Amino acid sequence: MTKVGLFLCECGPNIAEAVDLDKVTEVIKGDKKVALIERHRLLCSEDGKKFLAESIKKNGFERIVIAACSPKQHENTFMEVMTRAGLNPYLFQMVNIREQCAWMTPDKELATQKAIRLIRAAINRINYHTPLKQKEIECSPDVLIIGAGITGIETALRTAQKNRNIYIVEKNELGGVLNRLQSLYPGMQSARELLQKKIKEIKSHPEIKVFQKSKIKEILGFFGNFIARIETEDKKEVKLNIGSIILTIGGETFVPAELPNFGYKKFENVFTADEFENSVINKENLPQTIAIVHCVGREKFGYCSKICCANSMKLARLIKEKSKNTKVFQFYKELCLPGKEYDQFYKETKEQGVEFIRYKNIEIGDHKIDYISEDEIKQSLSVDMIILSTGLVPGKDTQYFANLLNIPLDDYGFFKEEHIKLAPVSTITEGISIAGGCQGPQDLNDAVIQAGASAGRTLSSLIPGRRLQVEAKTCEIADSICVGCGVCVRVCTYGALTIDESKHISVVNEVLCRGCGNCAAACPSGAARHRHFTNQEIYQEERAMLK
Amino acid sequence: MEQTFNPRIIGFLCNWCSYAGADLAGVSRLQMPPSIIPIRVMCSSRVDPLFILTALLRGSDAVLVAGCHPGDCHYQYGNYHTRRRIVLFNKIFETLGLETDRVRLAWVSASEGGRYRDVVTQFTEHIKEKGPNPLKKEIFL
Repeated sequence: MTKVGLFLCECGPNIAEAVDLDKVTEVIKGDKKVALIERHRLLCSEDGKKFLAESIKKNGFERIVIAACSPKQHENTFMEVMTRAGLNPYLFQMVNIREQCAWMTPDKELATQKAIRLIRAAINRINYHTPLKQKEIECSPDVLIIGAGITGIETALRTAQKNRNIYIVEKNELGGVLNRLQSLYPGMQSARELLQKKIKEIKSHPEIKVFQKSKIKEILGFFGNFIARIETEDKKEVKLNIGSIILTIGGETFVPAELPNFGYKKFENVFTADEFENSVINKENLPQTIAIVHCVGREKFGYCSKICCANSMKLARLIKEKSKNTKVFQFYKELCLPGKEYDQFYKETKEQGVEFIRYKNIEIGDHKIDYISEDEIKQSLSVDMIILSTGLVPGKDTQYFANLLNIPLDDYGFFKEEHIKLAPVSTITEGISIAGGCQGPQDLNDAVIQAGASAGRTLSSLIPGRRLQVEAKTCEIADSICVGCGVCVRVCTYGALTIDESKHISVVNEVLCRGCGNCAAACPSGAARHRHFTNQEIYQEERAMLK
Repeated sequence: MEQTFNPRIIGFLCNWCSYAGADLAGVSRLQMPPSIIPIRVMCSSRVDPLFILTALLRGSDAVLVAGCHPGDCHYQYGNYHTRRRIVLFNKIFETLGLETDRVRLAWVSASEGGRYRDVVTQFTEHIKEKGPNPLKKEIFL
């Protein structure tokens, strides 16, 4: 019989006062499955951990049950102690008699009863635990960055370090949207100068290999071991082995051809902000009056693009710089100017004589704007030129890469982050990060922050010279029971399960498996097994709880 | 003299949301009946309907399955699978003429200690009114 040790932690007065531990000891003592019951005042303290380790060695325990706080608090702490004491850390079950027992009811009698039930369940379960191995696999620390706009370039510069190759692939010229900009708000520095400096940096960096005008043909594999096939500028094929991928393919500016009230392509003096800044401003003598219309497309997409208000003010300043006497009107619906610099930027723009008009509805005609003002009055203004400040939309290749890498898109067509608040640059596929305009509308600052975030995530996950640690509590498939029906393949979010065509059974990729156990619940033949949460383990837990 | 009936409810709580929510309820010292006997699973989608059936046949008065809110699943879509499985489970019970309100699915996030208390309190009250689970006596295995 395996020797099971039960440890009761008093947690200072926290458990000792709310649960009658003497009674617990008395009741459990009769259980033949437990070799010895030990008690400590505070098991997670240095003293307590020492006590635990010594007791394991002294008594020769083979499996451990600890009744203490929530496993979310100290499961790892005790697993480390077990490893040091020479026991497999998975031959351990923690019982939560604090948060979900002692602290939930003032009735000591009921709390004690509940604690006994929970401890019994763990004792029943522990004999069915199997030792699990922390697996490790070989992996490549190299990184593939797709898209060499400013986000991609920044990401490359931040991931580049010794012992790590960075490959950056761009289908067009380097630089992306910054190539089309004159200057950057709010500092009004030259976009071109900044970009040229950065391009020079990546081109001369010994650890970065740049592929311009190249296409990604195929990506196979998984975190730590991807293989990418690339068609280069001179139509040659290159195969790259990489460990992780960062998508920085950017977004696009919306072209308002389908919104008739903005008169785009209908009147020759209506341009998008992008066209204006990229070419119109250089060519022409600017006319007497120019109107900049904000929020073009916002209603259609259902989100605010965050950048257009400040960008429109930047355009107004560029106009004023070039032609001081041109009258500039800003037609806006809502002004969105968060951030520490932008109140001042707005104030300064106004001081230059730029007029702000709030509209409720707008109709662009030939050299005129008909609008309904904030106070519901129908008005008209004749202007010589109209600039449409359009929002940002997902790039055309977004869908292609979503399919290629099996990552989902959000409701608006951008790459979906793993968690909007807690994991904004990761995707559900391990080893693939996103940054910049392909994740959502953002300005240069945000894009650079995301570049840093995705670089940090990538650098810390794959370290040169180290092997990749794989989750131990993954799923496994019993070959002899599996009939290859494919139910598990369909429920797996991570693509960790595939059908082995030669054997007609399902196989698990343990690098991709995150151990949710969905397949084990779905498998009709009981072939999928969730390690550490097997059917047997859970049935034993239930059985003891209901005795 | 008849003893007061304290229901015994097996509660499957997902590690990331509901188990953390239940912990938070404890940490915030929110008081509730100690009727739920929690079983921690990594995701509510690990809950095989057979676990629920086993619990009911072995004398659990009810079963609570709690997971992250739709769209918030730590494993992206696990809780949608759970939802379908529970609906199907209750459908089978309905067809067999068995009670369908002894199995409840609840969404409790890691920050919703108060919600966990409410779910537990209401469910326990409901089961108290219904009385002990008759399945153990009715069905012989």
